[in-house]
Amino acid sequence: MRIADRELGRPHFSGRGFKLPVVIVLTYTALLVVAPLLAISWGAFSSGVSATLREITSPDALHALKLTLLLAISASGLNAVLGLVTAWVLVRHRFRGRALLNALVDLPFAISPVIAGLMLILLFGREGWLRFLPDALGIQIVFALPGMLLATVFVSLPFVVREVMPVLSHLGTEQEEAAHTLGATGWQTFRKVTLPAIRWGLLYGISLTFARALGEFGAVLVVSGGVSGMTETATLFIFRSMDDRNYAAAYSMALVLAVVSFGTLILIELLKKRTGQRR
Amino acid sequence: MSIVLDEVSKRFGNHLVVDRFALEVFDGELLVLLGASGSGKSTILRMIAGLTYPDEGRIVIHGTDMTYAPVQQRGIGFVFQNYSIFSHMTVAQNIEFGLKIRGVARPSRIRRVEELLELTGLAGLGNRMPRQLSGGQQQRVALARALAHEPKVLLLDEPFGALDVKIRGHLRRTLREVQKRLNVTTILVTHDQEEAFELGDRIGVLERGRLQGIGHPEDLYRCPRSDYVATFLGGGNLLSGPATSGLFGAILPVPEEYRSAEGQRVQLFFRPEHLCLDKERPHNGRPVLGRGEIIEQVFAGSIRRVRVRVPRLPGCRQVAPQPKFGQEDWILEGELPSDLPLESQQYWVSLSQWSFLAPPRPHLLVFDNAASDGNEHLKMAGWLGAKIDGSLTVLRNRKEHESDQKVRREVQERLAEVDLDGAVSVLLPQGRSGNVLVREQAANTYNLLLLSKPKPEVRFSHLGITKTLTNILEKAEVPLLIMSGKFRPIRRILVCTAGGEPGKHDIRLAAWVARRIGAAVTLLHVFAPQTDNTVGRRHVANASSTLASLDIQVESKLLESPNTVDAILGEASDGDFDLLIMGGHGPYSSSFFRPEDVTLQVLKRVNRPVLVVPQEEV
Repeated sequence: MRIADRELGRPHFSGRGFKLPVVIVLTYTALLVVAPLLAISWGAFSSGVSATLREITSPDALHALKLTLLLAISASGLNAVLGLVTAWVLVRHRFRGRALLNALVDLPFAISPVIAGLMLILLFGREGWLRFLPDALGIQIVFALPGMLLATVFVSLPFVVREVMPVLSHLGTEQEEAAHTLGATGWQTFRKVTLPAIRWGLLYGISLTFARALGEFGAVLVVSGGVSGMTETATLFIFRSMDDRNYAAAYSMALVLAVVSFGTLILIELLKKRTGQRR
Repeated sequence: MSIVLDEVSKRFGNHLVVDRFALEVFDGELLVLLGASGSGKSTILRMIAGLTYPDEGRIVIHGTDMTYAPVQQRGIGFVFQNYSIFSHMTVAQNIEFGLKIRGVARPSRIRRVEELLELTGLAGLGNRMPRQLSGGQQQRVALARALAHEPKVLLLDEPFGALDVKIRGHLRRTLREVQKRLNVTTILVTHDQEEAFELGDRIGVLERGRLQGIGHPEDLYRCPRSDYVATFLGGGNLLSGPATSGLFGAILPVPEEYRSAEGQRVQLFFRPEHLCLDKERPHNGRPVLGRGEIIEQVFAGSIRRVRVRVPRLPGCRQVAPQPKFGQEDWILEGELPSDLPLESQQYWVSLSQWSFLAPPRPHLLVFDNAASDGNEHLKMAGWLGAKIDGSLTVLRNRKEHESDQKVRREVQERLAEVDLDGAVSVLLPQGRSGNVLVREQAANTYNLLLLSKPKPEVRFSHLGITKTLTNILEKAEVPLLIMSGKFRPIRRILVCTAGGEPGKHDIRLAAWVARRIGAAVTLLHVFAPQTDNTVGRRHVANASSTLASLDIQVESKLLESPNTVDAILGEASDGDFDLLIMGGHGPYSSSFFRPEDVTLQVLKRVNRPVLVVPQEEV
């Protein structure tokens, strides 16, 4: 029986081997994850529920929240399209520089978001190489919404690419060829065969992008300038409130962000299960 | 005529996968293309479907030239080996996909899906998801889906390859019924001959991108035209011998068409079930091969498979089943009814049915370029071609600015000098010499390449031979005869089994050459002093009995020497040999050709012809 269980990869309960690692994992999860969450909740409600509600409905706070959601949703949308195309190109095409492109996709993970923000300023700032671009378009990029969006898109670029690539290569080209033989054009095939087949992987990548965009701080801080009521996102709001010693506002906003992130996390877990089933 | 393929060729990189393939498929027939893996059969099917395009030739479907038409316009149904069912759709949605694309209204779609579910034995499973189905059911869905839009042509690419035997049988019957009911022209590709026999109205046998034979299954089985079709389809025994004397002339009536010239060889083919065993010498007119001994018997249900050792008849050799290395007697395959008791080991072996095949004509490729040293290689080609009754192709690379006509005239003049201007085909592709040769030998089936060792002044300094030659040596997949020194007829061959791995291929090739030109062979094995050479001795012993079994005059020599290259060169000049045969390293192992390689060292210093034998791919 025991041999069979081991072969099937089922947990086996024997001696001390069972308890010790579990205890260790539970302890540090409690210390590092659960305790901070509890502390945040306690901090948010310590001066009363009404104070929390007041802080969170203040014009600055509402504006920051709206801006954050706007950024996160647009960044997710943009990266869904760009990431899908990038993944497609990397999986389906063989060309010079493919390996380099494949490596570059991970760059946003490797470099600090602060540096990412700085790069945008160097490009589009007053002395930047590409300053003619915002001038020509008649918009402002740095210290404005477009710059913040660019920063957010940059830092969350790899998620969709990395989630879609394995699903796409696992899918192969045979189903698409089958669709072609049945008379479907390239676009029909993509819409009716490829996209549905990779949809769970794509959605999982988008949710990760969303969660990452929600919590982005460094790159946005550098690019936006953090003008309250203008270019201040939720994370920047928390940072400023802490600076102003307005702890109630900081904790309340933190709690809201934590709840949204937690919701996204649960969604991700559900999606993961779906993708697992599909494979 | 439903489908016509007209001289269709397809290359992947340098490799010719489909070679001037011509085929006509009749309306409503089920044609099976049968071939081993890598024979190009799937590529042909994909070209008909439009999933890939040919490099040359034309594809006509129902009178319309469809060579480069997109797949969507061809009106075909295609079934893939791995089902390729749309995993996110139900069975019914899968089947109606093609109809939906064509904008067919919902009520008629539903009706058609029901019909097809019924037809393919899937009734009631329309709402299942693919993952709830077995492999066999999934392939039924794929078949129904491919038929939904009423294609004029149905193409199946190894459709039952991934299924187990029992389900395969069921599906074959379903396919046969559906195909006959709908009368749809069908091409099925497979490597399974049982499947081919069961399904095919006609069978086409493919080898290396060429059609080796096509016809009704029974005709192909009873009267195969080529040795490949004979041995691939059903298997059997193939013996080769002279047409006018010896075995075949004496005890079997050889048809006139195979006796055109003195010394002409012919191949005798017979199926295992036509091998007869009798205790007494039969006097019923059946040709008797001799008295044989049963060395192995296997009970296989209704039949008993036996292997019989029969003493070899002089002047003849066994081609199939391929003799083992060192085997002198013939070992023939037979099939007897299993209820017939075998009472002893010794039987008289005779034949109840047999057929004759013309032996394949060897094909020589001669490389002639500006750097060629004189025309000794052309003289050798002419002599060898006449000796082995081979066809000759001369290849000369052409620079961009040179006109085809001018170079052709030059080559013809050179050929005329050595009386070779008759039946020789001349190829003049553009490109660098080494690349052109490597490409041509990969693209066609040659038995031998012939070229001259390049002139000294273009030597590659540290190797002593040119880079081009090294390149050819590394990439050639065919034996390579490198000519140096003056031409003279080959009478004595030195086979150096010390060069590289002691190979069986160099022995087989030596036998092939020696038998055709009637030369004597000396086997040379060089071993370093104070080493164990048991393996070498055994190899040489096996090699000499293999050669002796082919009536080749053979002697063997074992030399102890610290320097293999010196020993080989010394022996070559002492014995004044006309040809050296050495092992090479074959394709895809370029790293083996280092300057210290024995074959390269010998090539660098020798002034006699050397035949380098590539090792087979592992």
